[in-house]
Amino acid sequence: MKNTFTQSMAWLHTWAGLIFGWLLFAIFVTGTLAVFDKELDHWMQPEVPATEVSQADAARRAVAYLQAHEPQAGNWGISLPTERSPGLRVSTGDRRHGGGVQLDPRTGEAIEVRDSVGGNFFFRFHFTLDLPRNWGIFVVGALALVMLAALVTGIVIHKKIFKEFFTFRPNKGQRSWLDFHNASAVLLLPFHLMITYTGLVIFMLIYIPAGVDALFEGDSRAYFNAQGNARLEQPRQLARQPGQLVDVAPLLAQAEARLGPLGGLNIRNPNTAGARIEIRPELGNRIALAKGQAMVFDGVSGELLSDVPQWRAAPLTQRVMVGLHFAQFGGYPMRWLYFICGLVSCVMIASGLVLFCVKRGRKYGNGTAQASARRWYRVAEVCNVGFISGLLLACVALLWASRVLPVELAQRESWEVRTFFGVWVLALLHAGVRPARRAWVEQLLLVAVLCIGLGALGGVGDAMRVGVVLSALVMGVLLGLVAWRVGKAVPAPIRAKAGRNVEAGA
Amino acid sequence: MMMWVTGGVLFAYVGMLGLCQGLERHYKQVWQRPCPRALRVGLRGAGWLALLVSLLLCAQAWGWAMGPVAWLGAMSLSGMLLVMLLPYWPRLAVGLAAVVPVWGMVQLFG
Amino acid sequence: MIQAPAWLQILSRSAAALFGGYALSYAASACLARLLPLSPADAVIVATLPAFVFYTGAILWAFASRDAVRAWAPLALAAPLALLGFWPQALGWLA
Repeated sequence: MKNTFTQSMAWLHTWAGLIFGWLLFAIFVTGTLAVFDKELDHWMQPEVPATEVSQADAARRAVAYLQAHEPQAGNWGISLPTERSPGLRVSTGDRRHGGGVQLDPRTGEAIEVRDSVGGNFFFRFHFTLDLPRNWGIFVVGALALVMLAALVTGIVIHKKIFKEFFTFRPNKGQRSWLDFHNASAVLLLPFHLMITYTGLVIFMLIYIPAGVDALFEGDSRAYFNAQGNARLEQPRQLARQPGQLVDVAPLLAQAEARLGPLGGLNIRNPNTAGARIEIRPELGNRIALAKGQAMVFDGVSGELLSDVPQWRAAPLTQRVMVGLHFAQFGGYPMRWLYFICGLVSCVMIASGLVLFCVKRGRKYGNGTAQASARRWYRVAEVCNVGFISGLLLACVALLWASRVLPVELAQRESWEVRTFFGVWVLALLHAGVRPARRAWVEQLLLVAVLCIGLGALGGVGDAMRVGVVLSALVMGVLLGLVAWRVGKAVPAPIRAKAGRNVEAGA
Repeated sequence: MMMWVTGGVLFAYVGMLGLCQGLERHYKQVWQRPCPRALRVGLRGAGWLALLVSLLLCAQAWGWAMGPVAWLGAMSLSGMLLVMLLPYWPRLAVGLAAVVPVWGMVQLFG
Repeated sequence: MIQAPAWLQILSRSAAALFGGYALSYAASACLARLLPLSPADAVIVATLPAFVFYTGAILWAFASRDAVRAWAPLALAAPLALLGFWPQALGWLA
């Protein structure tokens, strides 16, 4: 190993950063895209109209539709039109996402919408890497822990952290890459530490169930109840007797006065004497994440049965930390701050990965070093291209697939996901057969073209979709500039030596 | 709200600029001459003050719970912008500070 | 003393970081949950929130320690902490 503390921390930062950086980049990119998951949902399903219908009218029409089509169902779910999600969706049963029927909020009629994984794919990939949920959560959790270690070791080894706070010296090869990596890491350190730690806090009791094991004998239900989350008893007897469903609109108004903007509602046991109406707030009225909270009303009398409880200090702290990660609060200005910070953090990780190869390019890129070392260097080079520009290619390919794949295609969602992974694999293969610099330029150019070309796919009938297309255009142009710059750059060896002589003499 | 948000971001930038120009190496980078000590202290003081104003404006836009979160983001991102501009267009990087009085005018008369 | 080959040292340290770190975080959380003067539900949360600070510390220790054996110190530390955290259950086994 290495001798001093700093040297061992530098070793750890370098190798943990390299090995795990490739997947961390994917987590950060999909996480950044997930900031606008609902907007991407909307763009990927152009059949959904953007309308100005009030939530009360939309709710009434949804209930009318459900009365006409599913009067016997045990549970009705209604997702109301919101600022970010203008669609109206109804479902029966306890579906988490997807499923159900899209309605036109103006008429209450069902509309045909293409099956699509939507922006929600990026959200799911971000915390599971598209692995089965329980495995994926642990894998991503482990990666988040490595990220935390990488951040701390990075701070420890950056000796001139204050002196070089604003330092960036471009056009100097390896020096510039290090400057950029340092600047983007240090300037956004609050964001990086916050997003990584809060990410771990979300599933902290799944990762470290020690507290529940020690104090509740591992009984998570007992723990849940101790939080004061005990569910209202289900009215089984009453649910067998018929009943008249109360008008939902005044209840919505009451809930909105208490909770702020609303997200949706569930009606359990509709058309029975035991009907219950649960109304949920739209996430983001406060920092603390309000997932799972609802006001519960009696479905026949409209009486409030269960209000949203105030959180005590400890659960509030956890909810605030989770909320800081979910970034649903603060409106669009805050959302954009998170998005741009996310973009910079992705570039920060990428610059570290590229720096690894730039630093060793002279030694292992040419014929001078051991063959095995050269082979491992080549692996790192290929993985850099495949996991950085390759992943970006996969993401934009998913967006294209959502519009290009035939609407009637069976298992359309699976094909979208296959496109994502297929393009990613192709990018890795491409990186394997092309020289590194050419591979970078070709892939980045392709990503740029596809981003800029999103507008050509049409279906931009409202402001939100135009926003998606314009943002993609800007990112495409930026990536195009990067590709041009990479293509133009002269390989390091000779210039670096000259530069060093000048620096030493100055 | 957008006026407060814009102000918050602008003052964050100016604050970072002040702290940056208060450092010898970056003052030299822009003006090609050494910085007298009094000016350095003054620039750094103005920088911290501007950052404080930024916090107040963010709190005005988002409230005191969400405001500090936005403030940290604004400082980080404006710092990033400054660092990217300095080596390429140093005078522009400094000149952007002139947007603040424009924002002030719009606030007063808008 | 014969030095172990580099790859074995790295493997040992990595294992120490992963497993020793987990053991320490788990035990520390249990211990804190038991000792904190809060209601059980609150104690669980307050005890688990800092777990990843301990874990990160253990990871850094695993690679900073003087040799690959000392890297396992967090695992050793976990034992008394776990005992504190689980002492009612421990008494139950003994009885």
